[in-house]
Amino acid sequence: MLCHYCDAALLEKVLEVDSNVFKHKCCSIGIMEPQCKKQKTRVLSTFTWEVTPVLSDEKLCEVELLEAFAAPIINKKQTSCLIKQLTCLYPLNNLPHIKRVRNCRDKSDHPLEIIICLLQDIPNREVSLNDLFPEGKANGLGEPFRVRIPAYQPLTRSQFEVASQHWPTTFRENKQVTDALQGHLFNTEEKAKMQTFMEKAIEAATVGKKMGMEPVGAVIVNPATDEVVAVGHDCRNGPNPLLHAVMVCIDLVAFSQGGGAFNHNKYHNCCFKAVESFPGEHAINIGKPLLPSNDHSLRGNIVNGLPYICTGYDLYVSREPCVMCAMALVHSRIRRVFYATSFPDGALGTKYKIHTKKDLNHHYDVFKGLMKDECQFLLS
Amino acid sequence: MFCLFYLQAKEALENGEVPVGCLMVYRNEILGQGRNEVNETKNATRHAEMVAIDQVLKWCHEKGRDRKEVFEHTVLYVTVEPCIMCAAALRLLNIPLVVYGCQNERFGGCGSVLNISQDDLQHTGTPFQCLGGYRAEEAVELLKTFYKAENPNAPKSKARKKQ
Repeated sequence: MLCHYCDAALLEKVLEVDSNVFKHKCCSIGIMEPQCKKQKTRVLSTFTWEVTPVLSDEKLCEVELLEAFAAPIINKKQTSCLIKQLTCLYPLNNLPHIKRVRNCRDKSDHPLEIIICLLQDIPNREVSLNDLFPEGKANGLGEPFRVRIPAYQPLTRSQFEVASQHWPTTFRENKQVTDALQGHLFNTEEKAKMQTFMEKAIEAATVGKKMGMEPVGAVIVNPATDEVVAVGHDCRNGPNPLLHAVMVCIDLVAFSQGGGAFNHNKYHNCCFKAVESFPGEHAINIGKPLLPSNDHSLRGNIVNGLPYICTGYDLYVSREPCVMCAMALVHSRIRRVFYATSFPDGALGTKYKIHTKKDLNHHYDVFKGLMKDECQFLLS
Repeated sequence: MFCLFYLQAKEALENGEVPVGCLMVYRNEILGQGRNEVNETKNATRHAEMVAIDQVLKWCHEKGRDRKEVFEHTVLYVTVEPCIMCAAALRLLNIPLVVYGCQNERFGGCGSVLNISQDDLQHTGTPFQCLGGYRAEEAVELLKTFYKAENPNAPKSKARKKQ
């Protein structure tokens, strides 16, 4: 008799005898001993892939500019008085990121310049001080001139650099975003782990493909402990066309918490889960889990001593999730998603960016490109 | 017959679930009745629509019917506009028409947050028609009752923790 997964002879370690499907115990949890040894050498090698963050359109867009009037401050002592006066006369209500006063660039006779108002605030396009200050209180201001100021607060360092060339703004740098954009977010050890998890997803996808399913596999990991919580592959060509790999994994996580809705044994034993600790941990020999311990998002993970759906968990999936799966991950409060290849109707970068949608109550980080070539090969 | 899905929503409320209920009707025959089962199953995707879809699939399996043909002639009646996930699922199954009660400002996939029902998605089934506003006040009332009591299974929000 042969094992359902690896086709090797079944002598012992038979896990399940259900619906005429037999498999090795080691296959049922998707991990075979020799693979752990392979990982040891891989840590030292370089990676053939690179992950790129899938950022919101707001983070990626060009810096938008607004036309405004500014004027030199002739008498420096008047500055605070002028700021007060202008805040009353021309409040920049929708532009809290704009610094009203800037140091003068060319170090000419006047050291400071101040924004008077937006061009859209006044009817005439060419103005003098008298037009701008009908009550004539503009003490200490020079002749107004036109400038272009950033319409929104910069969200990335590159946006900040462009914006600053026009007018100074506030900027709260998200170090993670900066690192991610520069490709420095993950070190070699972390990448080795990520690769191991994605390999598991590919392995599952391969099993599914053999059963006539879409070649998509997924793995859900608890990054605080590096435990694999669920492994699944696409089952859409079985009894339920909505059981995409991600939906299968979400339900397996539910099972791991004492819930669950589907009988995955019935679906030709094609889905399985492993709650054992991740064996690669030992081989890779890394002390630090993928999730930094100071991450506050973990706090919401435990409710009454139990994990709450997918809070704090990471998903590795070989192909970009569709709309249904991406939204299922919002509902499940996943923490991060790593995918390999894009999908034409994909909802995490290609057609939509559901993970960054402001109206929704949960957001997650998405990275693409992890083991892209391997997964491309899977799809061919 | 169409009041039944409001009874489903009430049953959800009585069981501590978000009160959403639905019916799936194929050629004047009810094939599926669902209500939200998220907390019960610890699976956040167990919305009323998904539960009802499973019943229709089961029916097709038991009766040996072609599920594609069945879904193509099935109307969904649901108390609240389907969320983005459910809208995509309904598309994937080629359901032609959805009749719903109130809009879903938080998650709606039929125009409120995204318009999955009508968007151009070549690989996600077929677009479907929507008719909203059927006994909307009743649906809103049910939701209000639920959110007043708060979801006991959801983690406490960060803002609340600071108090």
